[in-house]
Amino acid sequence: MVGKDSLRSKIIFVVLLMLVLAFVLIPFVTMISSSFKPNQEQTQLPPKIIPDNPTLEHYQGVLNPDIFPFLNYFKNSLIVAFFSAGIGVVISIFGSYSFARLEYTGRSVIQRGVLMVYMFGGVLLVIPLFQMISKLGLFDTRTSLVITYVVQTLPVSLYMLGNYFRTVPESIEEAAIIDGCSRLEVIFRIVLPLSAPAIVSVFIYAFMIAWNEYLFASVFINSSSLRTLPLGLNQLFYTQHYVWGRMMAASVLTAIPVIILFLSVERFITGGLTFGGVKE
Amino acid sequence: MEIKTDQEAKLGYWLILPTVLAIGGLILYPVIYNLWLSLHKVNMNPTQPNTFIGIKHFIEILTDVDFWTAFRTSILFTSTTVVGTTLLGLGVAILLNRKFPGRSLIRGIILLPYVTPVISAAFGWKYLFNPVFGMFNYIMVDVLSLMPQHINWIESPRYAIFAVIIFNIWRNFPFAFLMILAELQSISGTLYEAAEVDGATGWQKFKHITLPELKFVIGALVILRTIWNFYKFSEIYLLSSSVEVLPVYIYEKAFATYSFGEAAAISAILFVFVFGFILFYVRKVLEW
Repeated sequence: MVGKDSLRSKIIFVVLLMLVLAFVLIPFVTMISSSFKPNQEQTQLPPKIIPDNPTLEHYQGVLNPDIFPFLNYFKNSLIVAFFSAGIGVVISIFGSYSFARLEYTGRSVIQRGVLMVYMFGGVLLVIPLFQMISKLGLFDTRTSLVITYVVQTLPVSLYMLGNYFRTVPESIEEAAIIDGCSRLEVIFRIVLPLSAPAIVSVFIYAFMIAWNEYLFASVFINSSSLRTLPLGLNQLFYTQHYVWGRMMAASVLTAIPVIILFLSVERFITGGLTFGGVKE
Repeated sequence: MEIKTDQEAKLGYWLILPTVLAIGGLILYPVIYNLWLSLHKVNMNPTQPNTFIGIKHFIEILTDVDFWTAFRTSILFTSTTVVGTTLLGLGVAILLNRKFPGRSLIRGIILLPYVTPVISAAFGWKYLFNPVFGMFNYIMVDVLSLMPQHINWIESPRYAIFAVIIFNIWRNFPFAFLMILAELQSISGTLYEAAEVDGATGWQKFKHITLPELKFVIGALVILRTIWNFYKFSEIYLLSSSVEVLPVYIYEKAFATYSFGEAAAISAILFVFVFGFILFYVRKVLEW
């Protein structure tokens, strides 16, 4: 809506925009500012945004394995997120090509079945999955998390990739088939190279979901050496040794990789989000 | 040509097979297995056999006061957050639906709460809600005098629900914002121009052009957010474990007291409720 650009409406717009930005950013500002505050400044009232004596001690504490196993949690999150995203991408490349280009009876039933997953939240699956994981002898392994996360991200990955594959002109694929390529060669030589940005985005989407996940990790993992970041950080919060500045530094370091990854593919992911909605 | 179509179909099945196996084995089978568990007294050790007890768990749950308390908390949490995220998303989308310098940067900033890991965001808010030195108490009590005294937002069972609702709205309104903004940008400007020629006011334009165009996206947002927030666990539990919505109640039944069968029965009830809501909403509200 393009209103009349009077000075009054401009001022109202700027004020409202500032309020929205303040609401969005205050937790981030607090987090970053406290991560640089020495302990005696943490409890100051009124709270200050810029610390009087900024310090790096909390970051040094977080990164020192003798004080805080942050790096080990970080490594576990990295391994789990990398493998879930990688396996998820491979499965959804094949699946979404099958949906987008091949014709067979039952295809639309399967497509609708995949969407059904929206109706089952993690909390409905955690009890039966815990029983299954235990029976399979996968309790307290990273594998249990990887296989769970792959399935959680499949519906959105299939949707995003399928949409992208449909934008590859069918005539190119047909020409390649007439030239003697098989369908699989078409996928690997033509569709995949053309879809590289979509594939990277789907990988990052799945990576973010796995990096963020708490519920399944808290149930499937027991050993402290296998904890992922959300799990490890939350458990440390409930010990008496937590230090606010250190928790904030850990939060910042946990968020940074994900925010960088997101910003690098923002346009593509938000495009995918607005068309399909996204499973949380 | 006939052979080729057969081959295509065959390849189609092979390529979709991993997806079908993964979703069948790790979503559909567990849902059915959950129903089976809910009819059994489940052994604490998953490798030991379980005893069939029929619908005993369901009778116990439906006559349990704690269940109904958690149910009410879930309804309160879900209804307020669905309304809050949708309205705030709508407001901010309308605000940003104009050209101004730095618009795409601001859009990116607004999405940050939605993409930040829950654990980081929850820690930031815990700090803000701190009873002694948190910014939230400071602003509400010392600056604006809206409340008489500092409140322990996170740990008090009475107030934690408000902290959780504010946190959820903060985290999820960007999704509503993004979807609504995309829809707003697709509304043709000529509709508004025609209305202006006819002398329509800003409110009339909003009511007769914008809202009807947004009907579908808002309808979809409300149903998705309702489903997601009914099942919401981590965003609540990581901010305050004293807010006992149904998912937290299920989690504690299963993994703190090891009553797996009972917890499975509660999840079955939760699913039936959500499924019933979807059917009702799609037929009566969306009129599909």
